[in-house]
Amino acid sequence: MARLVSEPVSSKKRKIPKDSGAPSSKRRVVAEADSDNAMAKVLELEEQISESRKYYNNIATLLSMLNTDGPVVKPNLAVAVSLCRVFSRLLAGGNLSETERAAENEKIVAAWLRERCREYQRALVTILREADPSSQVTALTLCMRLLSERATHIHGDDIQVWTSGLFKNVVEGLIEAKDGEVLRSEFSEKFLKPYEDVRYYTFTQVADYAATQRTPEILDTVFSILSACDTVPEPDHEFEEFYTKPSQNHKKVLSVNAHKKRAQDAWLAVLRNNLSQSQRKTLLRIMAHTIEPWFTRPELLMDFLTDSYNVGGATSLLALSGLFYLIQEKNLDYPQFYQKLYSLLDADLLHSKHRSRFFRQMTNFLSSTHLPASLVASFIKRLSRLALNAPPTAIVVIVPFIYNFLKNHPTCSFMLHRVVRDGEFKSQLESEGMDDPFDPEETDPTRTNALESSLWELEALQSHYHPNVAAICRIVSEQFTKQWYSLEDFLDYTYQGMVQAELGVEAKPLKRIPVVEYQIPKRIFTDRQLEEDGGQDTAPGSLLRGLWDFS
Amino acid sequence: MPPSQLKQLKSSLRESGVLAPQQSKKQKRQNAKTGAAAQGRAQRNAALQAIRDRFNPFEIKTAAPHRKFDVTTRDSGSNATAPRVRPGVTKSVGEEKRRQTLLRDMNRRNKVGGIMDRRFGEDDPNMTPEEKAAERFARESQRKMRKDSMFNLEDDDDDDEEFQLTHMGQTLSFGGGMNEDFAERDLEEEEGDLSDSELPRKRKRNLEGEDDDEDASLYDLDDGEGDEEQPERKKSKQEVMKEVIEKSKFYKYERQKAKEDDDDLREELDKGLPDLFDMLRGIQPPPKPEPPKDDLATMNPDRAALLEGAADGDKEREYDQRLKELTFDKRSQPTDRTKTAEEKVEEEAQRLKTLEEERLRRMRGEELSEEESEEDESDDNDDEGGEIEMLDDESIPDDAATFGLQQSTGQTARPDLAVEDEDDFIIDDDLVESRSNASLSFDESDLEDSSAEESEDAKEEEEDELINGFTIPGLGSGKAATATSETQETSQGLAYTYPCPGSHDEFLQIIEHVPIQDLPTVVQRIRALHHPRLHSDNKVKLSRFAAVLVEHVAYMAEQPEHPPFAVVENILRHIHSLAKAYPESVSQAFRSHLRGMAADRPLSLRPGDLVILTAVAAIFPTSDHFHAIATPAHLCLARYLGQGGVDTLTDFAAGAYAASLGLQYQAISKRYIPEFINYILNALCNLAPTSPKRNLGSFPSRTPKESLRLKPSKKLTPRKLQFWDTTNPASTPQAQEELKLSLITTFTTLLGTASDLWADNSAYAEIFEPAQKVLRHVQQSCQGKVPASIKDTFQSTLDKIEQHGSEARLARRPLLLHSHRPLAIKTAIPKFEESFNPDKHYDPNRERADMARLKTELKRERKGAMRELRKDANFIAREQLRDKRDRDAEYEKKYKRLVAEVQNQEGRESNAYEKEKRLRKGQR
Repeated sequence: MARLVSEPVSSKKRKIPKDSGAPSSKRRVVAEADSDNAMAKVLELEEQISESRKYYNNIATLLSMLNTDGPVVKPNLAVAVSLCRVFSRLLAGGNLSETERAAENEKIVAAWLRERCREYQRALVTILREADPSSQVTALTLCMRLLSERATHIHGDDIQVWTSGLFKNVVEGLIEAKDGEVLRSEFSEKFLKPYEDVRYYTFTQVADYAATQRTPEILDTVFSILSACDTVPEPDHEFEEFYTKPSQNHKKVLSVNAHKKRAQDAWLAVLRNNLSQSQRKTLLRIMAHTIEPWFTRPELLMDFLTDSYNVGGATSLLALSGLFYLIQEKNLDYPQFYQKLYSLLDADLLHSKHRSRFFRQMTNFLSSTHLPASLVASFIKRLSRLALNAPPTAIVVIVPFIYNFLKNHPTCSFMLHRVVRDGEFKSQLESEGMDDPFDPEETDPTRTNALESSLWELEALQSHYHPNVAAICRIVSEQFTKQWYSLEDFLDYTYQGMVQAELGVEAKPLKRIPVVEYQIPKRIFTDRQLEEDGGQDTAPGSLLRGLWDFS
Repeated sequence: MPPSQLKQLKSSLRESGVLAPQQSKKQKRQNAKTGAAAQGRAQRNAALQAIRDRFNPFEIKTAAPHRKFDVTTRDSGSNATAPRVRPGVTKSVGEEKRRQTLLRDMNRRNKVGGIMDRRFGEDDPNMTPEEKAAERFARESQRKMRKDSMFNLEDDDDDDEEFQLTHMGQTLSFGGGMNEDFAERDLEEEEGDLSDSELPRKRKRNLEGEDDDEDASLYDLDDGEGDEEQPERKKSKQEVMKEVIEKSKFYKYERQKAKEDDDDLREELDKGLPDLFDMLRGIQPPPKPEPPKDDLATMNPDRAALLEGAADGDKEREYDQRLKELTFDKRSQPTDRTKTAEEKVEEEAQRLKTLEEERLRRMRGEELSEEESEEDESDDNDDEGGEIEMLDDESIPDDAATFGLQQSTGQTARPDLAVEDEDDFIIDDDLVESRSNASLSFDESDLEDSSAEESEDAKEEEEDELINGFTIPGLGSGKAATATSETQETSQGLAYTYPCPGSHDEFLQIIEHVPIQDLPTVVQRIRALHHPRLHSDNKVKLSRFAAVLVEHVAYMAEQPEHPPFAVVENILRHIHSLAKAYPESVSQAFRSHLRGMAADRPLSLRPGDLVILTAVAAIFPTSDHFHAIATPAHLCLARYLGQGGVDTLTDFAAGAYAASLGLQYQAISKRYIPEFINYILNALCNLAPTSPKRNLGSFPSRTPKESLRLKPSKKLTPRKLQFWDTTNPASTPQAQEELKLSLITTFTTLLGTASDLWADNSAYAEIFEPAQKVLRHVQQSCQGKVPASIKDTFQSTLDKIEQHGSEARLARRPLLLHSHRPLAIKTAIPKFEESFNPDKHYDPNRERADMARLKTELKRERKGAMRELRKDANFIAREQLRDKRDRDAEYEKKYKRLVAEVQNQEGRESNAYEKEKRLRKGQR
């Protein structure tokens, strides 16, 4: 039976030695002059093993042919494949398992075989770690093949082989393999994604592996492996796809919760590792889609998220949504949340690429109508201050955003319309004017005194150079007849998009002929006919000529 | 119960006088003599027909027997008065029509060839040859009048009167003649003389009727084309109504006239009654009855005139004549008086003022703003992509004022432009001379052509000519423009004639050997040679040339040997002058350049781009609220300021240039540019000798890869920045430091200018607070190790900002943006339809209503068509049956004839046989 099963593998693998194995054999110490001869030799040795027990020593010969003590770049794969067949056959025949009733010499033979088998496994893992990509892939296939044979045929070995035996080594080899991209993608495509038990044990192994502090590069590969499994089983999911037949006494593989628990452990182990700043950002970015669904207890993420939030800058922005989720759903107490959020509104925010994401989230955070007006006013004032230095693409977001705020918190509309009724204050205004009561340095959004201020900034922006932006800014001085602006329509604008909206992609006839300046200026660059004007350059463009020397 | 049908028939016959008591033989004879019998017969026939109609229950279709209640439909009232339909008549009409068309087709089926007589009236027996001729003439002229030829000058609908041929103000009319009419009348009078019965009277009335008919048709012709003139045009309802009114008036008049006429005649008869009595008594009759002509004398003179056709015609003609005189009078208006110099100056000032006002209005975009916000709202209602649409829609503002302005620039602005650049592009006289001499060999016809063309277009060309302020001897240069494509070298090395380049490559070829200083001359000559006045194609050529020039300006600026700016400026002025004539192509050229710039190198502008952006500032009104070129150009500038590189000193120089341009764009409209402030503050922070300790404001900071900080020293002297600093890096460290210092000075000056510009901005304090901080930092970090002039600049700028700041503080008041009138609550009163008709459809959705209407129409049409087809099929079947029967009958007849013949023969033979037999028997 084993023979039958191994047929497709061997037939497939036989091709590889022809391509890659053949040239490598020349360089090998043990190798014969001709590769065909080597192949024939290997096959012959293999045949002999299957014929009789007395040829068991051939295994040792084959192993020595596979010699992996030195630096392995091009291993003899034909040998590895044939050895795999040999061991599969032996395992199927029960030659490796010892029974109580067996004779002493039988036991010795079995022990010897087990020793050889271990040796072979080690060799395979070495190939996995160090060889070239195609050999690595072959080694991986052989490992998994052997693994399934062992799990099937050796009683009591079915869990052990996954948890501590061969598979542990395989996963470690996978992670630490050099140039392992091909290998890892092969692993996730062929084994990790299709087979649920592979996934389960991978999580277990990764959790173990990441429990110790690792280097950032290693962690990156761990991310890639973990994030490859992004389909979280439903609560009533039936597990059907198994690589090895699950034994009766191992029910855990069949439970969704156990799966999730393993995944959660693995992720937690990763998150607890020493992450670099960029890795943290990457993790935060995939947090919502890939990581969080695996967690049965999302509150375990709390530490990670609060830490990230306290870092500041873009990391904080990314941590926001997860944190807010925890506050909302899991009753996390984060007293400084709004203060922190307020502090995130800085000069760079409106120029950063996370702007749209941040505004989307901020709509969420501030959507409650129970927020104190002073806090909301602070946000409004801060945003409008920032808008003074913002690119037009940001201004078009801020203004509708503020509009929605004002609509939700009518108390804040004093910032747009404040009739002075106090006579004393009025006379003071007349004589001295006023300063902005808003305190931009104050970090607590409830104490900035923004509610006493007015949004002069938005009024100033009504004379923005870009007509569309100016038009949008004008909505705050119109009547508030619209219920709310859908913010999604205003996000994600770019300079390029705006220029293209003006200019189009290709030349089209203009709907209306543009007006041309009716007066041809006397001079553009030079001092032409300056004496006619009495030496004083007052014509249009004098500013430019005053500052620049055109020669 | 009504009496029986028979009784009714009898009574109606009696009533109508068909069943009259028998007449005696004598009476009959008398009647026959006087012709009363014939008349009576006709009357009888008519009466009989009426009775038949009345008694045939199927002849007239009556309304449906059951009537609907009034409450359910409004049509019930009209049902009663529904037009009486005569199914029999319609049926027979249809039958007749089919016989005319379908039957003919059927008979013609499977037959090939034949001759169609298309001559008009050839098969109409009741037309006299004269009538036929007249009709043919009418048809011919009709065909001519049809608008099938663009060169047919006589086809204008409205100007029909004007094109009528006249002689001495009198219409020359063919055919329909008063003269003819008159002749006929004479003739008929003669006839009247001949006979003394009532015949002349009848005729006369007939003729009068004809006359009036003709008048009416004439009237129709005058009144905007009768039916015959344009059969294909459907009359409008108004026209139809007018016609109906005219007709009814005319008929009324006619009836009145006839009545009066009758009265007159009766009077006359009455007058002659005693004579009749005398005659009856056997007294000798008077010599002759008076001729009818004398009747006129007894009539009212006006009526006499009316009756008299000639007089009538005269009157009408006189009226026409006067009318025409009036219309011609209107045309000849006095020419404008030549204006005095003061008036001209005043007019010019007025024009400039209006232009400036228009510009200001465009700057405020007043009408625009409301529309935009509305659009904004409406677009956002449909949530998806509303914003994008809004932005798109806004890109073309739509307000009437600017539209009006554009028209005015097309017409009024041009003539005066001559004053502004009169001095610019004057063509040397000798150039013109030599060219006209050189092309003497040109042939006459071309000369004529161009002169004709010129005289035709003279009016509009006059304006164009004035644009450039130079006069072109039209003929000479025209010849040259068309004749020469190859350049003719002169002693100066410059050719006098150049082909007009269609693309930039061609232009480069043309100017390959031209020194750059002479480029303006070349451009000027090309423009002169291809002046639109000289050839109709030149407009297109020049507009393309303008686009080429735009391309060339950018190209020039990017050449390694920097062109003198005087040349660039001159070319730009040329472009500006061309832009006035061909705004479309110049704008397109600018837009395409901007497009390329935005797509390929938005963050690293090249000198060519900078020159183009400068040109935009000069050529287009950058103060406009929206402008198809200025707005995107401004956006490009701001984008560069906001995101462009800040790694080298040349970057900073280019940024400084862009910033100055940005300020210049807003020199009049004073709109705020956030990127400008951000850039300048960031640049100052990066150029200052030391970096600021703390955050100086909410502008985003971008730092160059390697420090570009100034090493302050007293030895450095700031200079005016040069345009080429934007591309050429300074070579020596000394020069670099100088450049840095100059950059700092320029940025500071720019800040000062900006603070002047935006002093009235309501957020002045917020905008310039960081600027103040940055300037102080720069001042401190220089530690007085800079020349005094720089220190002064810092101090004066700071003072200026401070002063504006304190003014802004004084002027600051809490915002009062929402002093709107409270909104009225929307009413929800249902809309009632006055005089509602349940049969009508009141669909508020116009499209759907139209669709429903079309559907019903289609249904009706289809039904009608099906009915017609069915009738056709019936008709065909009937005809075929009849045909077959005819054939059968014929066959039968023939058969019978043959049989009879045979029988006859047989009988004869048998008789002969019998005879023979008997004879033989007898012999025996």
